Amino acid sequence: MTSTLFKTWLERGTGFALPVVIALAVSAVVLLAIGESPLDTFSLILSESFGSARRIASTLSAATPLLFTAVATAICFRAGVFNVGVEGAFLIGGLAAVVAGFSLPASLGWALTPICLAIAAAFGAAWLWLPGWLLARLEVDEVVSTLMLNFIAAAITGYLVNGPFLSAQSGNNVTPPVHEAAELSRLMPPATLHSGFLIGLAILFVYAIWARRTPAGVEGAFVGLNRRFSRAVGISVRHTIILAMVLSGVVAGLGGASHGLGQLYRYTDGFSAGYGFTGMAVALLGRNHPVGMLLGAVLFGALASAGTTIQLFSDIPLDLVNIIQGIVMIFSVVELGRITIRRRARA
Amino acid sequence: MIEQIAAAAILLTTPILMAAMGGLVNRQGGIVNIALEAKMLIGAYVAVVVSSASGSWMLAVLAAALVGTVIGWLFSLTITRLGANMIIAGLGLNVLAAGALGFVMTILYGSSGTLRLPDTVLLPRLLPEGVSQIPLIGRMLAGLDPLTVLAWVSVAALPFLLGSTRIGLWIRATGNAAQVVRSVGLRPALVQDVSTAFAGFFSGLAGAHLALYSIGIFNEGLTAGRGFIALAAFYFGRNRPWPTAAACLLFGILDAAQIRMQTVGLPPRLMGALPYLMVLAILVLTQMRSLRRAK
Repeated sequence: MTSTLFKTWLERGTGFALPVVIALAVSAVVLLAIGESPLDTFSLILSESFGSARRIASTLSAATPLLFTAVATAICFRAGVFNVGVEGAFLIGGLAAVVAGFSLPASLGWALTPICLAIAAAFGAAWLWLPGWLLARLEVDEVVSTLMLNFIAAAITGYLVNGPFLSAQSGNNVTPPVHEAAELSRLMPPATLHSGFLIGLAILFVYAIWARRTPAGVEGAFVGLNRRFSRAVGISVRHTIILAMVLSGVVAGLGGASHGLGQLYRYTDGFSAGYGFTGMAVALLGRNHPVGMLLGAVLFGALASAGTTIQLFSDIPLDLVNIIQGIVMIFSVVELGRITIRRRARA
Repeated sequence: MIEQIAAAAILLTTPILMAAMGGLVNRQGGIVNIALEAKMLIGAYVAVVVSSASGSWMLAVLAAALVGTVIGWLFSLTITRLGANMIIAGLGLNVLAAGALGFVMTILYGSSGTLRLPDTVLLPRLLPEGVSQIPLIGRMLAGLDPLTVLAWVSVAALPFLLGSTRIGLWIRATGNAAQVVRSVGLRPALVQDVSTAFAGFFSGLAGAHLALYSIGIFNEGLTAGRGFIALAAFYFGRNRPWPTAAACLLFGILDAAQIRMQTVGLPPRLMGALPYLMVLAILVLTQMRSLRRAK
């Protein structure tokens, strides 16, 4: 019993470490190629992201949206639903929360924030309900439908932020700021770390309980592992698929709300720096496990927050972070067992 | 006005069409290639650099196609040999390619964004300028370039290549029943690698067309989701060359008309959602039809 437990944790550990090691190795080669020392750069990244309380705060602040998008992705991936539309739901939820945050009366006071969050969750849920329903009822390929919905979300929000919701005061592409009452409080000013991080942690915790301890969560894992078996034991695969999509939309919408109400205080064009896709990398890296995803989110948060500083003080472009992210994504789905098996078969 | 839109539509269709033909063959071989976008973007960059350095559009186009092929091959290896999930690996490649290009641009030219190089040679026009006098289609004919012709030739040739040649049969068999291919002594993984490399080849050409048709500059946003539109097109055309080409042409016309509709007062950002909405709608309709037929 203990040895199998040890084995799964070992497997998870290597599953997490290997893509990261490969990505770091590739970036070391890239850094050498442009004449920078990889060791110096990596230690600079480490000190820039964890070197002081303020830097840790900015790392966690950058990790905040990823907590949401990673959980949103994991909810679907573990049920075998290839939802790549978290990015779109994040945008829709973010805009909904911000619009509610400046157009509802400020006199609502403390109640304003939870109302905005609820609206964002509802919009996110509705947004991903559609591809979920299409998949469950009509078997419409969810990869394509959610991919298309990402573009549609970007187009709709891009239009709204330049049209109906455009701020009268400040130029292009931004909405008015939300009421102060709607803002999520800063945890350690002047750092941008805000209470959205705590909401993200809470969501991660709820996800862990849901996935392991509730019938719906366990059914989701069953459907992900084997649809025919699930059907045979009486699980409604359709309901499970739709539920996974809707819950994913709720979490992604809340993520957008947290980003809008806690980080930016408004909606701007380019609201999301690809958080939906980075969240996917985080979920894959953490193998849908809450602890793994927390580590993954902090890792990418650190890369993002240190990357900006490093670009300022050295000649290393921030794009290195994208290179690392792409490699992590590719190698987190590679089955490394296959390499050894093939070698053995050939010998 | 219709003349202008037609000419612009043909031009805007070409890169989507080339990428879609590559992706179509790839999907017939059983791989959904979501990384067409990455290979187009890299192809466009390579085309601009080689065109400027060599002064030859032909070399530039070949280089773009070659780089696309190699990247497609490597991408295929992660899927067929290392068992990577094709969707995640493809999305990862898109992120990686964008990052790598941004990195290279910043290191080599000091700024990411737009790259303008001296002496970039554009794609030639095939027909003499006189043809533009022909009513209705004159403008369109005058704009024809070698890659556009190649793209439509490939549409015409693919039904035969896929349907009646040995390699075409292997590709389709691999996509439908890999175990059959294995049982006759062929290696499905190798066939898939070839089909992914082919998709890379055509995506590279598509990128070269985007970069070298009229402006000769590279921009990090140059592909603007066209790789995904191509993906939508062959889903839309259910992997058959002519219906897929019709979808590409439709997207090309929409793209060309979009510029006109702005002047009428329709919001351009909202119009940008139209191709994707149409894909979604058609996907639902075809699915409904096939389900009804199954009953």
